[in-house]
Amino acid sequence: MKSALLLTGLLTMQSVMAAAPPKVSNGLDPAVVQSVTLKNGMTVIVWPKHDIPNVALYNFVKVGSRNESPGITGLAHFFEHMMFNGTAKREPGEFDRIMEGQGASNNAYTSDDVTVYQDWFPKATLSTIIELEADRLQNLAFVPKVVESERQVVYSERRLRTEDDNQGKLMEQVQATAFVAHPYGNPTIGWPSDIQSWRIEDLQQFFKMYYAPNNCTMVIVGDVQPQEVFALAREHLEPIPAQTPPLPIRTKEPEQLGERRVTVHAEAQTPLLQFAYHSLAAADPEMPALELMMRILAQGDSSRLHRALVEQDKVAIAVDNFWQEGFDPGLSWFFLTLPADGDVAKAEAAFTREIAKVAESGVTVAELAKAKSLVIADFWRGLATINGKAQQLGSYAVFHGDQRKLFDAPATYEKVTSEQIKALAAKILTINNRTVGVLVPVMGEAGEGP
Amino acid sequence: MSAVQAGESPVVGVRVPAFERVVLGNGATLLLMERHDIPLVGFQAILRGGALGDAAGKWGTASLLAGLLEKGAGKRDAYAFADASAAVGGTLGADAGLEALTVSGEFLARDQALMIELLADLLQRPNLDAAEFEKLRERQIEFIRAAKDGDLSAILPTYGAAALFKDHPYGRPVSGSETSLAKLTHADATGYYRDQVGADRLIISMTGDFKSADMKKRLTEAFGGWAKAKTAAPVVLPPAKVAGRHVLLVDAPGAAQTYFLMSNVGVNRKYPGRAPLDVVNTLFGGRFTSMLNSELRIKSGLTYGARSQLVRPTQPGQWQISTYTRTDATVQAADLALETFGKFKQGGGIDAAALDSGKTYVLGQFPTALETSPQWARQLAELEFYGLERSYVDGYGPALAAVTMADVTRVSAEVYPAADDLVIVFIGDAAKIRDGIKKYGPLTEMKLTDPAFSRL
Repeated sequence: MKSALLLTGLLTMQSVMAAAPPKVSNGLDPAVVQSVTLKNGMTVIVWPKHDIPNVALYNFVKVGSRNESPGITGLAHFFEHMMFNGTAKREPGEFDRIMEGQGASNNAYTSDDVTVYQDWFPKATLSTIIELEADRLQNLAFVPKVVESERQVVYSERRLRTEDDNQGKLMEQVQATAFVAHPYGNPTIGWPSDIQSWRIEDLQQFFKMYYAPNNCTMVIVGDVQPQEVFALAREHLEPIPAQTPPLPIRTKEPEQLGERRVTVHAEAQTPLLQFAYHSLAAADPEMPALELMMRILAQGDSSRLHRALVEQDKVAIAVDNFWQEGFDPGLSWFFLTLPADGDVAKAEAAFTREIAKVAESGVTVAELAKAKSLVIADFWRGLATINGKAQQLGSYAVFHGDQRKLFDAPATYEKVTSEQIKALAAKILTINNRTVGVLVPVMGEAGEGP
Repeated sequence: MSAVQAGESPVVGVRVPAFERVVLGNGATLLLMERHDIPLVGFQAILRGGALGDAAGKWGTASLLAGLLEKGAGKRDAYAFADASAAVGGTLGADAGLEALTVSGEFLARDQALMIELLADLLQRPNLDAAEFEKLRERQIEFIRAAKDGDLSAILPTYGAAALFKDHPYGRPVSGSETSLAKLTHADATGYYRDQVGADRLIISMTGDFKSADMKKRLTEAFGGWAKAKTAAPVVLPPAKVAGRHVLLVDAPGAAQTYFLMSNVGVNRKYPGRAPLDVVNTLFGGRFTSMLNSELRIKSGLTYGARSQLVRPTQPGQWQISTYTRTDATVQAADLALETFGKFKQGGGIDAAALDSGKTYVLGQFPTALETSPQWARQLAELEFYGLERSYVDGYGPALAAVTMADVTRVSAEVYPAADDLVIVFIGDAAKIRDGIKKYGPLTEMKLTDPAFSRL
């Protein structure tokens, strides 16, 4: 994330994932969404929407921590910061000064798979914004002094999210333990020693390879006409030369043959438990079943795990889960926060028992119907803003190969059956396929162990 | 080289769409705005009181009551109540704030009858079950402990408010503290409900895909017979500005960064200089290129973010600078924050070009705050709650456009304290930062694990 300051209308990953079947079609006409592929391979998608006089531009660059190797972990995220820091035409800081001076704001985020640049602006500034985007894609500068300063900013972000936050601290260890081969084991923020030692040459190579127009999908939603956007794209973006496409990620994570465990000792009052299961890629046809299963298990106070572990057994004070769309099979996560004197073994046993029930008995008709209803309603909530529309369109374009699949999503969720979820649980939610993380509180002697 | 230019005044602001206001005989106020773009209906219900209604030392009572309201009402027990909204994809949640208890929700338009039934039951016929109360109380204590193991920038403002307002009601921890929650009983929650909850405290703001005449009829039937609260809504007096420097150090052994804020009493919701103040605060610490973020992040790399914020309740709330930096840079960052603030107070930092940029920025972003039905529901409810006219929205664009340098000078002097009058709170590794921060003023110290948010 470029800046936590500006986190206003962002959706969580869970709700981003919540694209699902509309039963009604008010205000949603797939035909209004238009797209072009520029001669350099860049895709531009436009959804005109005139409720407010503003526009959201999301540029999905297909690069994330999965494209990193030892020595350059965190580099994709570092780029998310560097892309605001000057070009051959513009001084560092000028990008933000111009944008903000014309009423626009911006941010960005990085995942394992993509880096997404977001601009929110009044419609009259459309051409300025597209020119600014084209400039940084084509002419990014690497000023040593700026690189050093931004390195420290990123380290501060790491301290905030990982070193001083126990959930983040444990999650990094679990993720690294879950993968023995695939780069999904890289922390997106980067290992400390890598943050401290990236070189300018690393940045230059990374930029040339991944920030090519043929590796970008730009989505523009709001008070615009598609033809004016396409004309501006042809003027400013099309001249950027295409590059040789990045090499595909060839490594596939081998099947996990037994449970892995990792323990973290940290200054804390509260023990934490995390479970990460090797799961599915975004485009897997079973993905809608996975999403419904995850909702049934741990989304909201009426979910199975909340009722069993928080309300009945009282072994945890909170249960959450998380999954995200990726090109390759990623992790399905569960997070348990325990009371300060909580019994970790008891909580783990209760969790394991509840998870096993899904593979044994599936889910009830009522649970499945509820999960589908929540998905439908979240679909509408997700599309209520120009931001939500841009995020959804971009995700479908990038991870599912076609933004129009957003509008086909309804049928895919409606078709999911209880039997399908039962089979999926038997395949994924097994002990052999999981990594368990335990954070053990250590008061006054952090890092020394019990 | 492109010059920094303000845009061609592309934005004219936002106007409140048509809505209907109805006051029932028992004092309940209904605000109804039709929006037919997507098939959802959303509402925000506000009950005056919130944490202001907590008895002395019983902080967290309203917060626990809010949780308890969701745990069964009418003919439904806790599970059935949660299932009823989830089964149709609806959301429904209650939460306590400093000055009000808020219930909000969103349902598909086809489920509006169920939505009203659940809201009416939750407010008028809650089970207030003793066992559910006990579970919530115990969990709330654990949530506070867990929060202290998490993102410390999130918990910093609770320490900041306690240190700034002391025994003024705005210093209360809305969710309670480990100390106060340990003492709370089921009778405290039911007593709060009996005395502080009723129709005359209620505003229901509803927006979305419905017919106003029909919705008015449904809501009148559901809420017209509700009794008034037993007591009058709490009245809060203005807090005094703080003179001199006061420093609180909250010891978090092993923390990799120090999280700090600098604050004093600012302005209330009705502050007449709102438009110039929003521009000034944006330029000083409200956007990415602000003075604070430029100095502490962009130029020096000391932090991931630095900002200046104003909380504006019924009476003047807090103004605060907040940021964080690695432990060994604590003094460097605090010095730089103070230096930047001093420069701002002396009028160095906002020139005519910056003013133009700030006005255009605030104007340009304003429409995105009022895009969806839930945003409008919240906005209408706030206008009613604070007694504001629709000109608060309609007139905001023109007011921004009219801001002058003289306005900037005036609000900078009026709202922001002298650099010598600050309450400063540091959360960090005391052994490593204690000596360095003594220079900022008389130091009080406590531990992050202490069960209260202040030494009081």
